[in-house]
Amino acid sequence: MSVQAYGAAGVPEIDSAPTQEVVWHHRHLLDVDALTWPEIELIMRTTDEMKGILARPIRKVPALNGRRVTTLFYEASTRTRVSFETAARNLSADVVSISTATSSVTKGESLVDTIRTLEALGAEILVMRHSVSGAPYLAAEVFGGHVLNGGDGWHAHPTQALLDLYTMRQHLPGGDLRGRKVAIVGDILHSRVARSNIWSLTAAGADLWLCGPATLLRGMDRWATAWGDGAIPGHGRFHVTSDVEVAVRDADVVMALRIQRERMQGGLLPSLREYAARFGLNAERVSLAKPEAIVMHPGPMNEGVEIAPDVAVSGRAVITEQVANGVAVRMALLYLLAGAHETGRPHDAHSGEAIR
Amino acid sequence: MSPRAKTTGAASAAGPKVGEVVERFELEKAWLVDPVSGREGPGEIVVRDGVLESVVWLEGEEAQGVTDKGVVVGPGFFDLHAHFREPGFEDAETVASGSAAAAHGGYTTVAVMPNTSPALDDPGVLERIRSASRASGSPVEILAFGAVSAGRAGEQLSAMGELADAGVIGYSDDGAPVKTPKLLRSALLYAGMLGLPVVEHAEDIELTAAAEAHDGYVASILGLQGWPAAAEVNAVSRDLGVLADALADEPRARLHLTHLSTAASLDLVRRARAAGLPVTCDVTPHHLALADEWIAGSRRWSWEALSADGGSRDPWADGALTAWPYNTSLRVNPPLRTAADAAACLAALLDGTASAVVTDHAPHTVVDKEVEFGRASNGISGIETALGVLLALVDAGKLSLAGAIAALTTGPAAIVAGWPAAAATPAARKRGLTEGAPADLVVFDRADRWAVTEASLLSKGKNSPLIGRELSGRVLLTIAGGKLAYEDPQA
Amino acid sequence: MTDRQIMTGEEIRRAIVRISHEIVEKHAGTDGLAIVGIQRRGVPLAKRVAAAIEEHEGVRLPVGALDITFYRDDLSLVAQQPIVKGTDLPFDLNGTTVVLVDDVLYTGRTIRCAMDALVDFGRPRAIRLAVLIDRGHRELPIRADHVGKNVPTSREEIVKVHVEEVDGSEEVTIGRQLRAGEPAAGRQ
Ligand SMILES: [Zn+2]
Repeated sequence: MSVQAYGAAGVPEIDSAPTQEVVWHHRHLLDVDALTWPEIELIMRTTDEMKGILARPIRKVPALNGRRVTTLFYEASTRTRVSFETAARNLSADVVSISTATSSVTKGESLVDTIRTLEALGAEILVMRHSVSGAPYLAAEVFGGHVLNGGDGWHAHPTQALLDLYTMRQHLPGGDLRGRKVAIVGDILHSRVARSNIWSLTAAGADLWLCGPATLLRGMDRWATAWGDGAIPGHGRFHVTSDVEVAVRDADVVMALRIQRERMQGGLLPSLREYAARFGLNAERVSLAKPEAIVMHPGPMNEGVEIAPDVAVSGRAVITEQVANGVAVRMALLYLLAGAHETGRPHDAHSGEAIR
Repeated sequence: MSPRAKTTGAASAAGPKVGEVVERFELEKAWLVDPVSGREGPGEIVVRDGVLESVVWLEGEEAQGVTDKGVVVGPGFFDLHAHFREPGFEDAETVASGSAAAAHGGYTTVAVMPNTSPALDDPGVLERIRSASRASGSPVEILAFGAVSAGRAGEQLSAMGELADAGVIGYSDDGAPVKTPKLLRSALLYAGMLGLPVVEHAEDIELTAAAEAHDGYVASILGLQGWPAAAEVNAVSRDLGVLADALADEPRARLHLTHLSTAASLDLVRRARAAGLPVTCDVTPHHLALADEWIAGSRRWSWEALSADGGSRDPWADGALTAWPYNTSLRVNPPLRTAADAAACLAALLDGTASAVVTDHAPHTVVDKEVEFGRASNGISGIETALGVLLALVDAGKLSLAGAIAALTTGPAAIVAGWPAAAATPAARKRGLTEGAPADLVVFDRADRWAVTEASLLSKGKNSPLIGRELSGRVLLTIAGGKLAYEDPQA
Repeated sequence: MTDRQIMTGEEIRRAIVRISHEIVEKHAGTDGLAIVGIQRRGVPLAKRVAAAIEEHEGVRLPVGALDITFYRDDLSLVAQQPIVKGTDLPFDLNGTTVVLVDDVLYTGRTIRCAMDALVDFGRPRAIRLAVLIDRGHRELPIRADHVGKNVPTSREEIVKVHVEEVDGSEEVTIGRQLRAGEPAAGRQ
């Protein structure tokens, strides 16, 4: 429950809050690129309410009573799945859980057939995690209900970006990211978290810096260059560097991304040891950031590789807050999507018009 | 059909059926294009008993009101690169359905690629294709490339000599490059000895492993694994180096590089040709007209996506994304490149570096395409839309009408004429509006736009990114070798 | 549609003052009493009731706001998800007597949702209900303890309470619904 300012009569000034009416029209949430800034703010406000629910003695409301949320995970990710399922249960939804281990996916059934089957079985909201970029767009084309992207390939992880944004706003004065320096350090190339964060943080007006070894930054330079002169309506510029000190210095937020062992086999990194030495977030590097800076990580962490153990448990780390906020953000999105009966324009995702 | 046109056939009063000799067809006041003589203008044609009996060029008052914006007559088109999937993949296409689609696209001659199952690596497979063509009743002439390697496995040479005797017009492991430079050298030498070319799909497959889309701005944003331009440049430079080497031993060695897609690789070919290497190349309609931004949901032509400085515009900045992203009909090999690369393909066509437009018609079933983008089969079903795409270039003032028709007729024929053993074949000679020869022509109406829909495509492959769009130049009539190949049902 | 005024601003003010007296009278004092407005127009009305009680009793009662959006049973019927306005109950509910305040009592479903929501925050000793307008047509066994004005209506009519804080004016109007598919009541 949020603390409200008290007015002259000693009653909360609830109605004095700015109440810009935003209508939520997205039937699916496939990436943050489809969201306008007022829509992102609506998600943030709705998340506030969900945080309120999570602070109550009874952390459950009947908002989605009788609605069916199905999680379809083609990649194992217990933490993300549990977060979505907790969110759905907190809203009293019925939850059905499908993973590659239990579905006929392993027997070669196509994604489209799987989705048609789930729809026939009554799925209304489909939370999907898939290793191929763009797979949720295919799902959304064939599914009659709502698709909520739980991460696709290298492309997007919108709920992660939104919970990251929410967490940053909690820690910045006035919840305002404009001009605040955010450094994301790690494997940018393969990261759906980084890509979605580019959309949301440049919309929020943050001074975003992406950092990693050149092999894991491929393509990001030309992206940053293309956006450099404010070309994209509603989105600011961002920076790319392989110099971790430049990225972290005076940052308000420092985020580390997971480094996967496969990158060594792919010839992209000499060794994890070398990565940790040159790019790992250790106490010394974090000390270059602002004194009140927060340290984030989308998890799961490789402590000692991209983040030093003492940094991960330091007072600056908000990693467990991210996890808690994840449930609230996902509740907010499930709630908003469930009410969007009218289909948005079929191409609302990626539409230039739709970007703010 | 124009009200002044009249088609009659042998068997029925209602006009000939597909495969029947066109007994009589007259067309008054159309725009004739003859890329052999280089002449175009108002004219009339008469076909009698399958022969192009007369070609009359109109002048003065008679020519009044006839423009190149209406009904056009040109020679039947020649596709140097198509996949008809038979034998082995008849769910995707057959020789019969492919021939029908070709005729609907204005084609009268099609060279099919050997990546069938079994691969066309011995004369028996060629005979199956020929008998399927005969059984189809379609008069569209089917030519074939044999495989370079047995089973297209890249290990040993196919039955090249027997295939030459059976009538293949060259060799290719298309779908993939010839596996090793060593095998390529052998193939160039042996094929050169036989007077035939190696047609190479230029791709460094190590650089494209798991690749999904052109390695560029669009792929970066969409999180698609990059398919670098370097993969094509590497392969082309390998191929040119091996060709130069082989020529020292066999001066009749010939290399044709098909579906080139990048500015850099086309530039390599331009320089190699200037240096006198016997290398030719072609480009496809989709690499000319579409760019990688289509995968993000853009639907503007490549020349509309070009910035003033010759670079690519940003579809996100332009608000140009109007379609659902990750459409698998756009997954193709080589991938759609940038608008600047598309402009380079056009420049290569205009300066003669690339002398032909080929469709790389690659039909696929829904099962192979209604999947995740990265798991979809590569290929575009394009033999029915090639003319419309080239006419869009013509409409935009990027290409002349005569240039477009030449790229579909005399261009490919001239390439084949450069292959010693194929030079004497009809495919290399015809492609003009020649009086007294068997009628081989297409009639289309530039003023008549047609909607590309699944139903409008005769190919079994509905994997066209142009579905939902209108193209100009509805084909009204295609006559192949004097026989009716296609007639618009509303004509 | 022509809206007819059924209460003026002055009549609203007098109704609030009367309700405030009734509440104290019924409770036999102000001990353990809390006022909770239902978002959206119930909230300013609750504040006014509390202010009126402070005026005549000299006691500042705790006031809260209750958003019942997540408790509605008609979410699947509405075209767009309602925007959440916020719940704020800055006091311990346990053992208090909560007076729920709303503008219009109609089917009773809003009040049922409000009671569901309230008990998720704690266990009040009692819940009472005060409304500015009771327009009839109850679908649930719910009755208001304090009513500003009883207004007999037909189901096709719309009762609309305007309050300065939300609407910029003070009055209650009644009108007839024009189109099918519009919500049957002024709110919800
Ligand atoms: Zn190929």
